[in-house]
This record gives sequence, C-alpha cells and structure tokens, in this order.
Amino acid sequence: MNNQRRRWGYAHPRGAAVALAALTALGLAACGSGSSGAASSTAGGKVQITLSMQNPNVQQQDPATYAIVQAFQKANPDITVKIEGQTVDEHEKAMQVAAQSGTLPDIFWVYNSLASQMAQQGKLLDLGPVLQEGNLTDKFPKAMLSGYTSNGTQYGVPYQSLVTGLYVNTSILQKYGLSEPKTFDELLNVAQVLSKNGVTTIAQGASKSAYSVWAFLTMLDRFGYEDKYQDVLSGKASYNNADFLRLYQHIEQLAKAGAFSKSVSTQTYVQAVEEFTSGNAAMLDSGVWAAGDIQKSSVAASTKFWAGPTFSDGVGDQNLYMNAPSAPLVVSAEVKKSAAKLDAVKKFMAFYYGDSGQQILVDNAQTPVTTYKPQVDASTQPVFASVLSVLQQDGWHSPAAQPDLVVSAETSSAMYDSIYGVIQGVYSPSQALDVVQKTIH
Amino acid sequence: MKWLSTRRALALMIAPALAVYSLYFAYPIVYSLYQSFTNAQAFGSTTLVGAKNYTQMVHDTLFWGSLRNTGIILLVALVILLPGAFFLAHLLSGHVRGGGALRAMIFAPNVIAPILIGLIWVFILDPHIGLVNSLLRTLGVAHPPVWIGGTSLSPWSIGVVYTWQTVGFIMTIFYAGIRMLPHDVMEAASLDGATGWQRLRYVTVPMLQETFGITTVLVVTGVFKIFELVFQLTGGGPVHLSETLVSYTYWMTFSNQKYGYGMALAVVISLLGVVVTVAQMAFMRRRRAS
Repeated sequence: MNNQRRRWGYAHPRGAAVALAALTALGLAACGSGSSGAASSTAGGKVQITLSMQNPNVQQQDPATYAIVQAFQKANPDITVKIEGQTVDEHEKAMQVAAQSGTLPDIFWVYNSLASQMAQQGKLLDLGPVLQEGNLTDKFPKAMLSGYTSNGTQYGVPYQSLVTGLYVNTSILQKYGLSEPKTFDELLNVAQVLSKNGVTTIAQGASKSAYSVWAFLTMLDRFGYEDKYQDVLSGKASYNNADFLRLYQHIEQLAKAGAFSKSVSTQTYVQAVEEFTSGNAAMLDSGVWAAGDIQKSSVAASTKFWAGPTFSDGVGDQNLYMNAPSAPLVVSAEVKKSAAKLDAVKKFMAFYYGDSGQQILVDNAQTPVTTYKPQVDASTQPVFASVLSVLQQDGWHSPAAQPDLVVSAETSSAMYDSIYGVIQGVYSPSQALDVVQKTIH
Repeated sequence: MKWLSTRRALALMIAPALAVYSLYFAYPIVYSLYQSFTNAQAFGSTTLVGAKNYTQMVHDTLFWGSLRNTGIILLVALVILLPGAFFLAHLLSGHVRGGGALRAMIFAPNVIAPILIGLIWVFILDPHIGLVNSLLRTLGVAHPPVWIGGTSLSPWSIGVVYTWQTVGFIMTIFYAGIRMLPHDVMEAASLDGATGWQRLRYVTVPMLQETFGITTVLVVTGVFKIFELVFQLTGGGPVHLSETLVSYTYWMTFSNQKYGYGMALAVVISLLGVVVTVAQMAFMRRRRAS
C-alpha cells in the first residue's frame, strides 16, 4: 500500500500548500466577473429585449430611463423591456466579459472608449439605418452623433446629455456675505472665507468615484484642451504644458484654501451629494442628473446651477458650459439575427428619441439629446430650470465632447487621478500632469 | 476488489476530476500566463510583446507601492493575527465559563461578507466621522491620525481589520489542534512538575507545528487575495496609494483595460505567494529537524 501511495503521489502537505497558494492567486486573476448576458426571448407571443444600464436600481437612480421604458411598454404591449443594472465599474467589466463571451444584452449603456473597441470588433449593430428608418437622424444636433461613428457606421446614440458643472447653494454664500462667484479669483475668495468658518466650499467624493471631477474637466477646456488634445495624443505636444499647469496650480490653490470636503478621500460621490443636499457644502461638483435629487431636498429653493469659473489666465473662449453627448446607448450586433427583436429595438429607439421620450427625459430633470424644445415648469422644477437657463445663455457654447471621453480608458483614469491627486495633496501640479502624460504612448 | 487498485481503474476514476480541473483551473492559468506576454486589451488584436509587461512592472511605482502595502498587511497578520489567534485558542481551550459563546463571538466576523466588514470599519476608522477619532477628539487629541484615506496609515489599518475578520477562523483551527493533543502527554508534563508556561512552551507549541504551518499558509494566501476590504475602506485611494497587489491588478485589468499587463501582475502575485509559502515551509521543516 505504501508503494502504491508513493507511485500515485498522494497529497503531500507541502506540495498541496504551494499549489493552493498558486491556484488561489492565479485563479482569482484569471476569472472575470460574469455577465448577466442577453436574456431576451420571444416567448408567449411577446418580444422581450434587454436593457442593461449603469445603475443598480434603475427605477430609483435613473428615473428618466425607467419612465421611458414604462411608457414605451404601455405604447407597445407586445414588447417587454427587461431592465438590468449594476454600478458603473461593475457594468463596464460585465460588458467586457459579455462581449468576449458573446452574451451582450440587446441594448446597453457603455463608455465610449469601450464602445468604439466593440464596434471595431463588429460586436455592435450599425444604428445608422435604424435612425434613418425612424426619421431620427435629423432630430439630433450633429455633435451628438458624430462622436459615435467608426468606419462609416453609427455604433451608438447618446444616452443622455452630459451637462455638468457646479450646483451652488446661494443661501450659504449669503449667510457669509458672499456673492455668487463668476471668476476663479472670486471662487478662491469664497473658499477662503467659507474655510475660515468651517464650511465646505465644493463637495467632492473620490472613494470609488474617481471620475467625479466634471467641473474640472470643463475647466480643462477653458485652458485650450479641445484644441490641444489631438496633438497631445499624437505626441506633438505634452499634457504637461504651461497652460494645463496653470489650471492644476489653480486647483492646488483651491485645495490649500480648504475648498474641498474634509472627507474627500473616504467619501463617495453619493456621500458628496448628501453633503450638499443636507446644507453642509456651498457647492457640488455634479451634473444635470443630480437636479432631481436636489429638487427633492431642503436646499432646492436656494440652489442655482453654475458652469464653473472663468479664468483671466485661461486659453481661448471662457464662455463655455458642458453640454456634450454622454456615454452612448449601443445595440448588440446579435440583435439582427432575430427580425422580431430588431423590430422591437427600432421601435424602442424611435420612442426614446422621439418627442414623447424626450419630454419624459425633461420631466425627470434631464436635458433632451435631440433638438426637441422642452417645456419646463420652473415652479415645480426650479433646479432643472436653472440648468436649462445656463445652457440658454447668449454667447456661451459647449465643447464637442467632455475631455475624458476622447481618450483611452487608461488616460481618462489618469486624468481623474491627476485632478484628485492635487485636490488631496498627493501630487504637485507638475507631478499630476506627468501622471497623465505617462499613459500617452 | 483488486481491480480497483489497478492503474487503469485509478486513472478512470481520476479522469472526471482531472477534466474539470484542467478546464476550470489549469486552462485559465495557462491562458493567463500566455496573456501576460501580450499587449491584450479589452478588445482588438493581441500581439506578443515578450517580457515587456514584466520590465514595465520594474518601473511601475504603483506596483511597488501595492507590493509594499501587501507586505505591511502580511506583517501585521503574521505578528498580530497568528500569535493572537493561538493565544485566544489556548485560553479558550481550558475550562472557561462561557467559552462556547466567546468562541462564537470571536468567529462571528468570519461569516460576514468582507465588503460589509469594510463598510462597518469605515464608520469606525474614517478620520472625520469615524468612531475612533471622535473618541480621540473627545479625549482632547486635536489632530488624530488619518487611519484611512491618508498617505501612510491605510495599509496598517487594513491589516488590523483583516486581523479582526480572520482571527476567529484561525483561532478555530488552533483550538481544534489543541483539543486533539494527547492528554497523557500533558498529564506526564504536569506530573513532572512543568508549569503552565513550560507546558505551553515545550509541549503545546512543538506539537502544534503542523497546525502553525497550515495556518501560516492560509494567512499568507489570504493576504495575497485581499480585495474587498481595500475596495470598501479606501477604494485604493488616495490615488492608488493604498492598493494591494490584487486590487491594483483588478484596477489595471478592468478599469484601465490593460489585460496583458494585468495578467503579468497576476503571475507575479502567484509566484510571490509560492515563494513566501515555500520559504515558510522550509523554515518550519528546518525547525522540526533541529
């Protein structure tokens, strides 16, 4: 028996321990998170399409999309839309795995950097014919569609408009004898005064939400990002240039003035929103999607939307707000294998981007992505009306895209880190710029 | 029944398990190894880049930072967790009143999902709203330490939380080991006049060497797998200064979509796990031999 044990190599404790160590580490790394996949069917005479979004609770966190789906199902009783959702990070990873395993949902939200890679690999449906068939192409401003094309195919359509900036609680400013800032110097003065009084000027949350630096991305455009980034990406220019350095130095000035949340390192974006809506911060770095939550809070009456400060040492036009296409909605190429499902997707697109769908967006405090002229009741939607008023300022315009959405995932991630690095005092402005430059090959 | 012992019969019996093992364990490992020599991203063509990912790692300050943080957590675990778990097991293996309830209480954190443990400890360690610093401020400490979210203490704090989470499990293994020790040896030691400390030092500990070996391997592999605690406590921040090897690998692979480099990191983590475990086992063997 002993001989037999030796021959067959019965588990030796040391060997087993080593194998355990190797397997646990590599096995963990090799296995990606599973995707929910496309659970669509045409059972029971009803067509089911799957809509996968970047919020775990779409009904609560993205009421506009939820309301559109409900209205669409009511108008199309023969179609069921199965809504799935998870957090942004989890969703992005799940979509990567799903694309590789051929289990993409029918319609889904995804960052443009990933969507363009999926399109190049033929994973996405060309929506050009779908938009033309539904007479939708002309409803979009050109800039809303142009960012989602690859080799002549329209692989995505804007999910919502990306209107970002700072929400300002004017009552806090008034309490300390401050007027609403317009320039960076005025903002710095506000930060210095509020900091002395123990009040947060700008609520920010870096933990698990490093992307929440929207207002600062618009500021990058006020230092010439839109004209520079292609040269930076092609190697003709560096991200660490004198113009961007001035902006990062201004961010450092704000940080040193105590402008940001004390818990910026450990609090999430959601907690930053709570800090603002509970009246503990004068400003919130966010976007139009937060208007609904703010409207329901006690600070709604005193909240105004602001496109952010202008800079006397900025580059080019300072009258900029951010109203660019957000990440796209895309459709799996697998959909065209089923005529019924393809038809359902066409109907859904026609509804979403038709006037009814766009008005539902507006009713839920989202700006339309088409040329639809919204009807807004300022008495019931004061915060959202304030957002719209910023977009309607004469002489102001938006860049074509938000800065982080025109670079690779690695570079956009470095951009977030660079800004938060300065805010948290980890990087000097020059070090922060180098962090981004290192990702550009 | 002799046919059961033939090579063919044994091979047939092993085959199903071997097939499952090959498909779900061996293949991903070999594939990861291959990917580590490529420039694989989320999509697109993949080309072999030789050892480029590994040479890049040498110059990657975030990798070295993650390695340092993992080392700190391992140090905390080896210095506090293992001795702590052993002494708890030793204390509770005697006739302690309410020993069962105490064991259950100490084991309890081990059945809580790590992501929830992280959430609980955020409310304890957060430098501004956390329980610890609130207490310190009440006691007059004007500038209490930044336990998490700062640039230096986060890995130490993660090590302490990991110890709190795991001590019950390791204690249970020691407890089982102590209870399995032959009573006659202990009685003989007592009759020979050995004190409690002497029995512990010269009888219990030497006889538990195998148990110490197993628990050390479990702790080492456990530390190399820590992810959820980091994710929940600090999110790896500020700007990745508190990443561990696994959380950094996850971020690099999925957030930055650099699969090739991420797999190279995974291979290095595995090798480190193997090296540390082998070194520890060799140390234990040498001690046994001496």
